[in-house]
This record gives sequence, C-alpha cells and structure tokens, in this order.
Amino acid sequence: MHWIDMKRVGLVVGFLATSWTMAAEEISHPDFTKSQVDFFENDVRPILEENCFRCHGGPDRRGAVKIKSEFQIISRKGLLLGGAHGPAVNVKNPAESLLLEMVSYKDDDHQMPPDGKLSPEQIGILSDWVAQGSPWSPEDIDKLVVLEKRSGSVLPTTEINDRTLNYWSYKPLKSPEVPQVEDPEWAANPIDAFIYHQLKEEGLQPNPKASPRTLIRRASYNLTGLPPAPQEVEKFEEACNPNTAWSELVDELLAKPQYGETWGRHWLDLVRYAESNGFERDSEKNHIWRYRDYVIDSFNEDKPYDRFIKEQLAGDELEDATIASKIATGFHRLMQWDDEPADRPQHVYDVLDDNIRVTTEVFLGMTMGCARCHDHKGDPISQKDYYRFLGFFHNVTQMNRQSVIENLTTAEEELELARQRQERSQAIAKLEVDIAAVEQGMFESEAGQSFNAKNQILVPNSRQGEQRWAYTTQKPEDNWFEVGYRINDEADESVGDSGQWKRSLGGFGNGAPGNTRPRTEWTSQDIWLRTTFRLDEIPTNVRLSIYHDEDAQVYLNGQRIGSFEGYINDYRTLPLSAEARGYLQTGRNTLAVHCSQTTGGQYIDLGLQVGWNDKDRAAWIADQGVKSLSESDREAYLSMTSELDGLKRNPVRGGIEAMMVQESGSQPKDTFVLIRGSAHAPGDQVEPKFPSIFGFPQPEIPKQPEGAQTTGLRSVLADWIASEKNPRTARVMMNRMWQYHFGRGICPSPNDFGYLGSQPTHPELLDWLAVQFMESGWSVKAMQRLIMSSKTYQMSSAPHEGNLAKDPENLNFWRFNMRRLTAEEIRDSIMAMTGRLNLKMGGPSYFPVLPEAVLATSSTKGGKWGESPEDETWRRSVYVTVKRSLQPPSLTDFDFADTDAPCPVRFVTTVPTQALNMLNSFFVNEKAEQVAKRLIEEVGTENLDLIVRRGLELALSREVEDSEVATCVEMMHTFENKHGLSRRESIDRFCLVALNLNEFVYLD
Amino acid sequence: MNKNKTRNFCGRTSRREFLTDVAGGFASLALTGMLAKEGFFSSNAEAAQFVNPLAPKPPMLPGKAKSVIFLFMYGGPSHMDTFDYKPALYPLDGKTIPVKTFGRGGKKNEGRVVGPKWDFKQYGQCGKYVSDLFPHLGTCVDDMAFIHSMTADSPIHGSAMLMMNSGSLLSGKPSMGSWVNYGLGSMNNNLPGYVVMLDKKGGPISGAKNWSSGYMPASYQGTVFRSKGDPILNLKNVQGMGSAQQRTLLDTLNHMNEGHLKNRFDNSNLAARIASYELAYNMQSTAPEAIDLDTEPEYIKNMYGMDQDRTEDFGRKCLMARRLVERGVRFIQLYSGGAHNDDNWDAHGDLKKNHDFHAGNTDKPIAGLIKDLKQRGLLDETLIIWGGEFGRQPTAEYANGTGRDHNSYGFTMWMAGGGIKGGTSVGETDELGSMAVKDRFRVKDLHATVLNQMGLEPNNLTYFYGGLDQSLVGVEGADPIYQIIS
Repeated sequence: MHWIDMKRVGLVVGFLATSWTMAAEEISHPDFTKSQVDFFENDVRPILEENCFRCHGGPDRRGAVKIKSEFQIISRKGLLLGGAHGPAVNVKNPAESLLLEMVSYKDDDHQMPPDGKLSPEQIGILSDWVAQGSPWSPEDIDKLVVLEKRSGSVLPTTEINDRTLNYWSYKPLKSPEVPQVEDPEWAANPIDAFIYHQLKEEGLQPNPKASPRTLIRRASYNLTGLPPAPQEVEKFEEACNPNTAWSELVDELLAKPQYGETWGRHWLDLVRYAESNGFERDSEKNHIWRYRDYVIDSFNEDKPYDRFIKEQLAGDELEDATIASKIATGFHRLMQWDDEPADRPQHVYDVLDDNIRVTTEVFLGMTMGCARCHDHKGDPISQKDYYRFLGFFHNVTQMNRQSVIENLTTAEEELELARQRQERSQAIAKLEVDIAAVEQGMFESEAGQSFNAKNQILVPNSRQGEQRWAYTTQKPEDNWFEVGYRINDEADESVGDSGQWKRSLGGFGNGAPGNTRPRTEWTSQDIWLRTTFRLDEIPTNVRLSIYHDEDAQVYLNGQRIGSFEGYINDYRTLPLSAEARGYLQTGRNTLAVHCSQTTGGQYIDLGLQVGWNDKDRAAWIADQGVKSLSESDREAYLSMTSELDGLKRNPVRGGIEAMMVQESGSQPKDTFVLIRGSAHAPGDQVEPKFPSIFGFPQPEIPKQPEGAQTTGLRSVLADWIASEKNPRTARVMMNRMWQYHFGRGICPSPNDFGYLGSQPTHPELLDWLAVQFMESGWSVKAMQRLIMSSKTYQMSSAPHEGNLAKDPENLNFWRFNMRRLTAEEIRDSIMAMTGRLNLKMGGPSYFPVLPEAVLATSSTKGGKWGESPEDETWRRSVYVTVKRSLQPPSLTDFDFADTDAPCPVRFVTTVPTQALNMLNSFFVNEKAEQVAKRLIEEVGTENLDLIVRRGLELALSREVEDSEVATCVEMMHTFENKHGLSRRESIDRFCLVALNLNEFVYLD
Repeated sequence: MNKNKTRNFCGRTSRREFLTDVAGGFASLALTGMLAKEGFFSSNAEAAQFVNPLAPKPPMLPGKAKSVIFLFMYGGPSHMDTFDYKPALYPLDGKTIPVKTFGRGGKKNEGRVVGPKWDFKQYGQCGKYVSDLFPHLGTCVDDMAFIHSMTADSPIHGSAMLMMNSGSLLSGKPSMGSWVNYGLGSMNNNLPGYVVMLDKKGGPISGAKNWSSGYMPASYQGTVFRSKGDPILNLKNVQGMGSAQQRTLLDTLNHMNEGHLKNRFDNSNLAARIASYELAYNMQSTAPEAIDLDTEPEYIKNMYGMDQDRTEDFGRKCLMARRLVERGVRFIQLYSGGAHNDDNWDAHGDLKKNHDFHAGNTDKPIAGLIKDLKQRGLLDETLIIWGGEFGRQPTAEYANGTGRDHNSYGFTMWMAGGGIKGGTSVGETDELGSMAVKDRFRVKDLHATVLNQMGLEPNNLTYFYGGLDQSLVGVEGADPIYQIIS
C-alpha cells in the first residue's frame, strides 16, 4: 500500500524529493499482535510525535512538512527506508539500530532529538519497542509524504539532460558568425558589428564618440587606475591622427607598470586576497605579498591566461616550474583560517570548501560550493561531483603559520647555497670534534671526573639526542602504561611496528614550535608513548624535561609522576619528587606518556637525566674546566668556541621565502562523500573526477615518480580548466575583461554562469570573444586592444531621451556606462593630485596612518597595526596592508572588496559617511593641503584665477570654464573676507572642494 | 524591452538583479530611497526603478518590536553565578567529580568544582532566583525571559563571537544588525540604522567582523558610536572650519556638482551623492544631539547609575541607547567588556574579582534602561537581549583558583521587552550547569526569535549570494522560541 498524505502535498514545494524512487519500494511488515500495536499507540507514538515528527515527515508548528536528512519517521516503512545515514532500525539486530544510537547521545556528533536527551524511561520504551521489531498500527504503517517535484513538462535543471547539456554556458565553444551590418564604420571591428546589430534590432541609436579628453581619462583610469597627466592630455588632444594616437595611447598605457597594479587588483578581488588569517589572533600570512606581486607581474607581462591558471593551481608541479610559478600557488593559502577551531576535522573541510568555491566560481563561473551538503538546487551538480572535485585538493597540507613557508631558489643559487652549507657544516663538525677533544681532556682532570660523575642522560629529549619510542595514536588497552604491558619485542629497539604501536624517534608533533626539534609527525588528537631505559643504581638527582602541547600525563614504571595541563612554549625542567624517585628501579625502567590536544598545533617531547644539565656543564667548563688548560691552549679553545658560536648563529641564507602549497606526499588521500557536509559522517568513497555535466573524459591520474612530493592531481585539474575544450574558462575570463572595461559583464553574474545566474545580454558576442581570446594565445592585452579599439568602447556616456525610454539600464550598450572610481582609485587620485604619489612597486605592504577611533575597535592595542616610513605611506593603495579584522575607512567606506569571499563586482554605495570622510578626515584634509602647496609652487598665491584653473585642470583633466573659475574664486573671497581665512587657508579649502567634486570621482 | 531579464528563482529575483545591476553603475544603494522619502525624486520617473535597501519597509509579520538593544557580555558570563541557580553545586566546591567539559583547555572528563561564588535570592512575582551580582536587575525579572538552555557550536572566542553575531563560525556573513536593517530599513535618515558601542578597554576579538555586513553592501554594516567626544568617525569638522564656513563650502560644491549633473540628468547616483553631503551635514547636528545627555534630568541619569563612577560609563551608553531607540535606530549593540582576559567577562583566573567588576559596572545601568523604557511605554517595542558568546564551566580551569573555562554546551541568555513574555524561564542545564539538557536551543533559535519579534520571518528573510538564498538562520532554518513570546 502506498499512501500519500494528500493534505500536505500541496503545502510543500521544492526540490527536496531527492530519492523518491525509494518510496515506491515495497517493504513487508510482520503481523503484530494487538498488544504490540497498543504498546506502540499508547507508549511509543506519543514520544515520536512530540520529539521526532516535526523534522522527519510530520507537520511543524506552521503546518509545513520537513523531511530532514531525507528521513521520515511517521511510519514503519519510513524507519526501514531510513535517510541519509541509513535505515533507522536494524531488523536483524535491533540493539544496533541507528535510532537507539542517536537517542543514546553517546556520540557527540549524532544526537537526537537535538533539543534535549529523552528521559531514561522514554529511551527504555523505545529500546523495548525496537527490540519487538518496531510494531506499528496497520493504518499508517506505510504512510509517507511525497514532496511535490517541480512540476511542468520542462526538464529539471539539476540533472544532466538535453536541456542542461544545451545550456549556453555548458555548450562547447564555437565561434559564431559575425553579423553583417550596413554601416561600414560599425562593421570594421566585429565587436561593433555584434553591438550595432543588436542596437538596430532594438531600435536604439548608438551614442556618438566621446571627446578626446573624456577618452584619455577613461582609458587612463581603466588601464592604470590613475588620471592622465596634464601634458599627456594635451599631447593626445593635439595629435594629428586621432586613430593612431588612440592605439598608441592604449599601447602606452598597457605598457605602464601601473597597468598590472590595477588589473592585478581585480584578480585580488576575485581570490579574496588578504594578508592575515582572521579569527582571534588574525595572524599574518607571512610573505603572502609575493603572491600579490606575482599577480601584478603576470598582468604586466601579459602572461597567457592558461598559464596563469596552471601556475596558481599547480605551479609547483609544472615541468618548467619557476620561483614565480611556486609563489603563484600561494593561491591555496589565501583563505580565512581558524588556528583554534572548535571542530578541527570539520574546519579542515571548511578550508577545502573555501578553496573549492574560489576555484569553481573564479575560473569556471560555477557555484560548486552549493553542493557541499546536498545536490545543487539549481544546476546539474551533484554532491558526488563536489567531493570528486574536492579529491583534487585533498592532499594539500593543512594551513599553518610555519611549514607552509618555503625557501625558493634558482638552480644556480641552490648550487651555491649547497656549497656554502656544506662548507659550514664541515667547519662546524671539525670544530665540534676539536672542542670535544679539548673538553674531554678537561673532564679527565680530577675535578672533571668528579663533576662528570654527576651526569647521565637516561632518556634524551629530542634536542639532546635521539630516543626511540613506541607510539600509537589509537587508544590502547587501559593498562598501556604499566610495566607489565608488553608491546611485542618492546625491548628490541630494532623491531619495527607492532600492531597499533609504531616506533619512531622522539619529538612528536605537527610543525615546529619555537625551540623544538620534531622528528616524528603527529597530527591526531591523542598520542600514547612508551620507552625504556636502564639503571645500574638509583640516582638521587633526576630531572624531567618536557615540552607539552597540550595536556600530558607522565608515568614512570606504571605510576603517574606528573600531569601537565594546557600548552607551554618552551621546555620545562623539573626535579622528580622523592616519591617519584621511589618508583625507579635498577635494570629496566618504563617511561610512558599520554598527550592530548584540542586546538592549535600539537607537540610532545620529554627526557630524563641525572645530574647536571647543559647550562651546568657550560658553567663548569667556563669556571673550572678552562683552568686545566695552558694559556695558549685556553686561547685556542676560546677562539674555537667563539667561532663555533658564530657559525651556529648564522645559518646559510639565500633565495626568498614564500607561502605556498604543499602536499602530504604522492599518495592521494581517500576521499568520501560527507553526508550533509559533516566531516563526522563519511559516506561513499569517491575518486577525483571532473564535474559530470561537462562530459569530459575522466582524468587519468598520473603515476608519480619515486620521491615525488605531490600527487600530481592539481596539475590534472589545472590542465582541464586551462584547456581550450573547457566551455567555461575562456567565456568566464572574457566576460570579466568586458566587465572591467564596460562596468557590466555581458553575463551580469560573472561568478555564476549557471541557472541561478543571469542571462548574457550578448551571448554570441561573448562566444566570439572567448574564441578570439584562445586564438590570441590567451593574451589578455590582445583582447584589451581589440575591445578598446572598438567604437563601442569609445562612445560617449551622455543620456539620450529616446534610448533611455527604451533601454534605461543600457542592456544593449547603446552608450558607455558612467562609473564611480573604486576606493583605491579615489585614494590614489587624491595622492596623485598632490604630485607626491610614490610609484614604487612591490614588496611588503605598508600601514597607512589610521585614526585612533578605528584602532580602538580592535581587541588588541592598536590592532597590531604597524607604522611605515612616511614615503611608504604615499604608495598606491594596492600596497596597503590587507588585514581581515582591521581595514582603513578610506578603503572600506568606498566599498573595498570583502576579504572572505570572491568579490566579482564591487558594490557602489552612496552614504553620508562617505561625505564625512571626504570632508573631514585627516587623510583628505592633509592631502588637500599638499595639493594647495603644489598649486602655490606652480602658480603662486597672488592670482586666484590661476590657482583655481590649475587646480580644476589637475582634478578633472579638462579645460576649465570661466564660470567655474568664477564660482570657486568667489567662494575663496568669501572665505577670506567673511570668515577671515588667510590666503593659504582659503586655497586649502578650495582644494578640498576640488577633491569632493562629483566629477572628480565619477568617470564619463 | 527587457527581453533579457533574468529568470525568476523562488520568486525573489528583484534583489539579486538589483545587486548585479550595481555593476552597471545604476544603483545607489543607500540613498535613493532616502531621497525618495525626502521628495527629492518625487518628480523624477527614474527613481521609481530603484529598490532602496535602507528605505523603511513594512515588516513581513506583525512584529512587536521596532528596535533591538543587544547587551553583549563579551567573554562569556558564568550562568551558574548569575541567573542559572544551581544549589547542588555549592556543597561540591573543591571536590573533583566526573563531568564532561570542552573549553579553551580542551575536552575533559573530570574537574574540580568551583561552587558558585554568590548567593541567590528570589525576586518578583515569578520568584526568579538571581545572584547577588545583580541586585538591580533582580527587580526587573517580571519583565525578563530567561533561556537557560542556550548552546553554541564553539567554545573558542573567535569563532563563537562570529556565531553569536552572524550565525556562522566563519567570517564573511552579515551580522544580525545588518539583517534587521536589510529587512526593515531605517526609520531615521540622519542616523545610522545599526549602531555599535564598544567597551572603553577595546573592541572584541575580530573587531569589525562582529558588525560586518559580510556579503551585503557596506550600507548595512554597523557604525561605531563613541560615548564621548565625536560620536562618529569624521563627524566633526576639521580644525578651524565653523558651520557658516562649511555652508559656504557646501554651497559652492553643490553649485559645481549641479553644473556637472545638468548633462547627466539621468544618473541618480550623482544626485544621490549631492544629497549625501546635505545628509552628512544634518547628521553632524543630529548625531551629537542624539547622544547629548545634558538635556536629561538628573534623576534619569541616576537611574542609569551615571552618578557613580563605576557605572557612569555603561550607564551613559545605556541612556544613549534609549535616545537612539527614540530616534528610530533599528539595532544597537553595546559591549560590556573589550580586549582580552579580565578586561571582559572571560574569567579564567579569579572568578569573583572578574564578575564582581563587570556585573557591578552594568547591573544598575541595565536595570535603569529597562525601567526607563518601561515608564516611557517604549519597552513593548524595544527588544533587549543580554548574554555573551557562551557560558562557563562548573569546574575550575587550573589546579588553583576559581577561574572557569568556556562552556558552549549550555549557558543562559535573557530577553526583555519587544513582545517577550516577562517572568518566564525556558530550558534547563543539568544540576551542575555543565550542559543544557532540556529544551536545548541553538544560536539560530535565538536569532529566529529576534527576527520574529521584529516582524521578520526568519526562514524567508533571504539574500541571494554565492548561488544560494542565504539567511541568518541558515539553510536548515530555525523557529522562534515560542515559549518566551507573549
């Protein structure tokens, strides 16, 4: 019987009915006795109704049906079919039913009902009921609600079918025919032909060409983010051949280094570039500015876009990898990262998810992140597709602050450095041998012998030497720390792993906190360690040295001798108490330790020693030992030790440090679908594969050579994305270029070319451009030349009554879109106007001066905001430090890009706080004074007309009208005559007005 | 025209379309609506096309509250020492018992109990037990509803702060105040719709991320107000510029801008920018007036504890909050505690000293706020929320001392006003206060309650971003806590 609750069908609309074929399955039920059914009705049903139905098939408070985790508990059939986590009851073995596990609250991650544990009586009733085979009343034993599927005859967009395969952005790229247009002026450039053709169809009139001054200002900001210099404007305006002058101008601008800074910044928006990690410490991403410089350089070099993709995703794996291509892989380290997450396994996937979102949205215009917990709701992307895609990234090592930094060198540098390192280590080794020989002599003296007798290292910590430990990261038997507990052949150190116990050298941890020497990687939550040492007699002065991160318990011969909480930042050395010493025995002794950590890095190392420590020894030598030497020997000895100190303090340095990608070896990690996105609920295993909708041949995973550091999977992915056959890559990037030239993409949702995104207004033009782009060898600059040479780009932005009535949003590009300058352009333009803008490129970011009130919003004094030398603070805004938790209002007030997610389009907001900033902030006023200073230097203080004319020319890159001069001069007169300002002050005020003009921040 | 209009998804196309249109330079997010309200565009047909996020909007539901005051006890106050009375805990003081905890120091299965350091007394008609930390708030219990079974997903400040403010352990999501302003718009053009006042010790961990608008435009982010001096950054004119001089400057600027607008008449962004200077000018007088307490009578100031040194600062902020509510500000967040450790409620070391300090600074001001709002008839339409990002453990963190570690397994928050049923308590922690056991609520349930009281349907207040209709309460949704709604 298949009963559908008709009342509710109409209430629920959506795509939730994911696996409804299951509902049709026949499930057979045994016959239940009347008393069993009564027991169900009287005792069980009320519990289920009150606690479970709301989310699993029954009506919630508003009468709507919810079916969470695809699980319905409103019938026995529902119980047996189960949901995302499998059947709720185990018919064969009722005691192992999932339902009982969930209500038992034993597992932190699987607890039902979520708002509180059932009472023991209720749990008892449910256990009895399940043990009886989950009897149910016959009336609704098979009842299931069916959620309405999207109705209609249209094929769903969430499946691979004829509809989705033929969707504009999934279709293979083909160059469409260029429309024939009668006007020869609009036929010369195919871009114009496409635009003009559509304008004619819509009955629209293209705007005339903009004035030369408008054009040079437009092009200059567009390509370099800066206004043209007055002499450049003059030169351009006076050029005898306007056409060649334009293409020369475009070439000149493209060749300026400021071009890369401007277009690189667009890319930084997309990859949510920031230089800190966020969260409590908001720690610095060391050296990450090299990635910023890499991006800028790549645009300046016109690096082919396919290469640009490959370098960022897999620059370390390329056959012709370079230092730059390795720096490019900093791409994988840009995300926010919590160094102290509450749920560490889950945060590992949060980080992967962040990178998957950026990769798919930025390169492919695909919102794959939506399929993390369930199939995509609008596009044909399954949850399986998501985890297959995740497989390409799964081997990337987890983020941290130290080990993701690598020292990069060229091959020649490496040779030279290797030589220097060898030289240094040989020198050190020789000195150590020589010094040791002298010291040996000292200890052979009588005083030396008596001192030496006090010392013996029983168990070296990893800084003192190598000690083999048996260790395990799975909870061992309860008596694991006892003397009597035996790992097979424990005494025989040459024996390797034994069951769950492995053997390795001490110093266990993840990364290398200060002053430690890790020898064995430990990344899990807990670790258990055992080792042994021998004693011939019981010493009196025993010291334990320990570095624990975090809690550790130490056992000596089965007795707890120490318990340490939390973490420390250096070794602690403490004497064993008399009680603890009492546990020592002659012959074999067992030292055992358990360390567990919750958040942050982990590290455990310990040692035991008798007698003096290194400090005591050094003190004895300095104080007593050297006395046994002759004067000349002593001098020789001291010179050797100081030479050794010097060598040790100065390791060979060379190359550059960069934050980059790394993988945990060449063996891919197993990847599973995570049910509802939970790291604690792995489902089916999956292999790295491309999203199925693209129908590509699936990847061949390359066999990695011996000793490879990575799986090569990222290269496979990068090759697929950067392929000419990929229908998205060229379209997506071409659309972005169009957007950054015209203010709106041909497809207005640049990060989403799927069904939830917007439709392109000129799909054929986009395809044509995308094909051209690939044919140009993925040259961004070539496409920019083509775009900027079009009439479309050179149109005026003026309003046109007729066109406005038909196409107010300019969907057809009948005019050029006006735009406000970006936050960086505003800031840079203000500085440029003073004539003091510092065009120094690259290097570490600088800290502009922030108002106290802004620094006070941070939880740390001054927000860890640094200070930079004054000339640094005059550099372009692209070099301002980007911290996640603290940003300068001069950028954020004007819609600077968010640092936590890709920013494909900057917002343009207009709010009064911007006016307050532009009128009253220290930054703008200080710069206004600098502009005034410049004007005075150039034209003096006498002639106000001249001052105003020059000021407005600088601000607006155009000839100034007499009436405008008169308005400003009148204001200055009022300031001086009515408000009593000095000449200098009134010039300052005029400059402030100039910086606040709409025309200063809006481009035609 | 508009043959290429984007398709409709879930009936919510307009907003997303609007946002993508920003790229075309067509949308001036904050101002067009303000201008519409001012009649700026009354004769301009173009204005009709724009959707203005900050224009006042009718609520989705008949909401009780018009404003929210979120009293954020940053650092995590101890529930068993404040409002969650645990008589069984006193005699266990100093005993080591098995109890599951998870805090900064990791997961533990046993610990030394720190008995509550204050006595509890019953107050009000409802007989609510309140600790001696809050003698003044005790007198308000019949207006307060306690949620004793709050749980959060993280016991670590950084992520837990983000969760309490924006519903997510990760940053990049809009905070609750942004959602409220997005859903309802602002009732006062001359003041920000979302105001944040910080402790004088400093901001909370993650700073501005806590009042960020995330993926929404910056117009929805919180504005930091200071209780003394210049309330908003850059509000004050530069040295030497008086109001008359500023007027001269603005008149010239307007004149020049209007000349520029003449041939660009259709671009409402330009007009909006001109108007923004006038609004800024108004704000320069209204914002200081809003927080100018000189006009308040002494007895009112005293109600807020402004006559005593230790309560002066928080009392001033509470009184400012009331004045902002009166002026239509939608969402006001006040931080008690800033910076790190004992500068906020994060009592890892000496519980007594820490909580005596922070409770003593805030008890009277908050009670004064409730009483003052009530006597003005404003409490019904003002929702007050009190709480931190989590609570604290019943056991000690260290071998010595009374400090408690963080606890997100169970803690207490309370609400008052704004349609909340006074004198009620919902949910329970176990007898130690170590975890919520009855009627457990998550942060999103609290958020759903706030939105609901503001007349916003928590599961339908969505914003399209990243391929998804995002909401404050997340894709799985949440229901308001009906037990505390009157």
